[in-house]
Amino acid sequence: MIIAEHLAKNFQVKVGKGIFREKKSIEAVKDISLQIEKGKIVGLLGINGAGKTTTIKMLTTLLAPSAGTYFMDDMDAVKYPMEIKKRINMIAGGERMIYWRLTAYENLWYYGQIYNVPNSILKQRIEELLALVGLEGKQNIPVETFSKGMKQRLQIARGLINDPEYLFLDEPTIGLDAVVSKELRSHIKFLAQEKNKGILLTSHYMREIEELCDYIYILNDGCLIKQGTARELAADTFNRRNYILKLYEQSDDILARLDHNLRQYDPTTEVSGDGDCISINSSENISLELSRLCTQEGLFIREMYEKEPELEDTIIKLSKEVSA
Amino acid sequence: MDFKVLRGTLKKELLTKYRAYPMDFFIGNVLTGFYTILGAYMMYKLLFERNMNSSFANLTGTSDYLSYVLVGSLTYLFLVRTCLNVSRSLITELREGTLESLMLAPFRRVEYFLGNMLVQTLTTTMEVMISVLVAIPFGISFQYIHIGSFLLAIVVALYSFFGISMVLGCVMLFTRDTYISQNTLFAFVFLVCGITFPSEYLPAWLRTIADFIPITGVVTLIRNSVLLGKGISEQSTIWINTLLISTVYVLIGFILMQKCEEVALEKIHS
Repeated sequence: MIIAEHLAKNFQVKVGKGIFREKKSIEAVKDISLQIEKGKIVGLLGINGAGKTTTIKMLTTLLAPSAGTYFMDDMDAVKYPMEIKKRINMIAGGERMIYWRLTAYENLWYYGQIYNVPNSILKQRIEELLALVGLEGKQNIPVETFSKGMKQRLQIARGLINDPEYLFLDEPTIGLDAVVSKELRSHIKFLAQEKNKGILLTSHYMREIEELCDYIYILNDGCLIKQGTARELAADTFNRRNYILKLYEQSDDILARLDHNLRQYDPTTEVSGDGDCISINSSENISLELSRLCTQEGLFIREMYEKEPELEDTIIKLSKEVSA
Repeated sequence: MDFKVLRGTLKKELLTKYRAYPMDFFIGNVLTGFYTILGAYMMYKLLFERNMNSSFANLTGTSDYLSYVLVGSLTYLFLVRTCLNVSRSLITELREGTLESLMLAPFRRVEYFLGNMLVQTLTTTMEVMISVLVAIPFGISFQYIHIGSFLLAIVVALYSFFGISMVLGCVMLFTRDTYISQNTLFAFVFLVCGITFPSEYLPAWLRTIADFIPITGVVTLIRNSVLLGKGISEQSTIWINTLLISTVYVLIGFILMQKCEEVALEKIHS
């Protein structure tokens, strides 16, 4: 299990122009604590320069933390980074981290060498990984001729070359088409559930995080502001309920009547029309009252349900709150 | 030692070089050798022929300035080619976006740099050998060469070039500059390390600096072995001094490299 507590990272940067620039300290990460269990997928979300990438770089030992502790399976990761490197790997979005002059096979072979993967299993592993990312027919073509998506797929294979115990995925599906993204998501699930790997995932696609992650950490300005499952986060962020009502007949008059009557149960209720939908926002559970009211008013219900807030709604709301 | 990293790096670099710079790069490098020899020859013919001071022969043990300058120039060519590849290896990874994936891996740097060094040694040896063939008609003389001493001098030279490359690599990675640092170093080495004239002609303070650059010893060893036919035991002091100074460079290079890698990665993110 990965246990990081109170991680912080300060950078010294030079500001201004010319030779005699002033040095300034920037706190990219102020205080972040998190845990990654083997067999689980943990999401890391952030709002505008939250410190996600710096956190990942610290967890992958690329950056030394300025403060805090970081243990991987009871081993001090700050003290023994070389031991940690053997057990982890990282996949970042984009076209970096691979050699463009080499072929896909040569890339994976080279990384296999520097990760000290035994040659007896390396060939088979390369073939499996190339098949996984759909590059088995392109293995002998130089990477510089690959499309952006193909380079990204090769990067994913590179990240798995050492069969890591913990995997850090920084926007892994950027640039991938829908089919490959879906395959990758199912493989990420497979790696966690069947291969018992601990995975940390960042992504701008909220549905991806919702679909994959067992637990989510939300960062802002270098600090952890929320954590929990997607459902817990939504429940914690939204204390109001949203109902969607679709009627066979709809008018401004109906909206006004609903608004007036529902406010008798909850004075904070808001009713608004959006196309053929009526959206009702209330601090109370008013589903029973709503259906009763429709019957009394002679309104025929086509569809009615309570809309659960999505992770994206949670992030948007949190973003508004922190910038307010 | 982990030969997998060395072998992997060797193969990767050879393939990259072959694909990035096919035959024209090799021809270009051979032409550089030719121009170096031509420059030395013209310098000799137009400036120094029949104008050599007797002090030159006293200091160098030979009055054959042409062979003196050709051996010096070819050693310098070997230094430049080798140092360029090894010292620029990590900053090239940084520029190509592979530094992070490399730094993620649990491997020791020494095999990585040796792999780079080996690639450049192989390609540069071929280039310099062709240059030597070109230099023969210009008048380079090998009649007194001491083969054993010469081969040992080459090994010491490679060790010394490796040390200098490591230190230069640290400067490059720290400053993220290649051109200013490499050209400054090479110009300085060319002027003070006895490439085209004995370092004894330099002011005392500059000579002291030259003594702490292993190239001064390397050039002397190669010249003594090739032009004067001096054996290994005859040059024991120079061997020991050059090896010691080179070791200091290697150690400083490896100690600083770890720090410079950290600084480079921090600079990427900050």
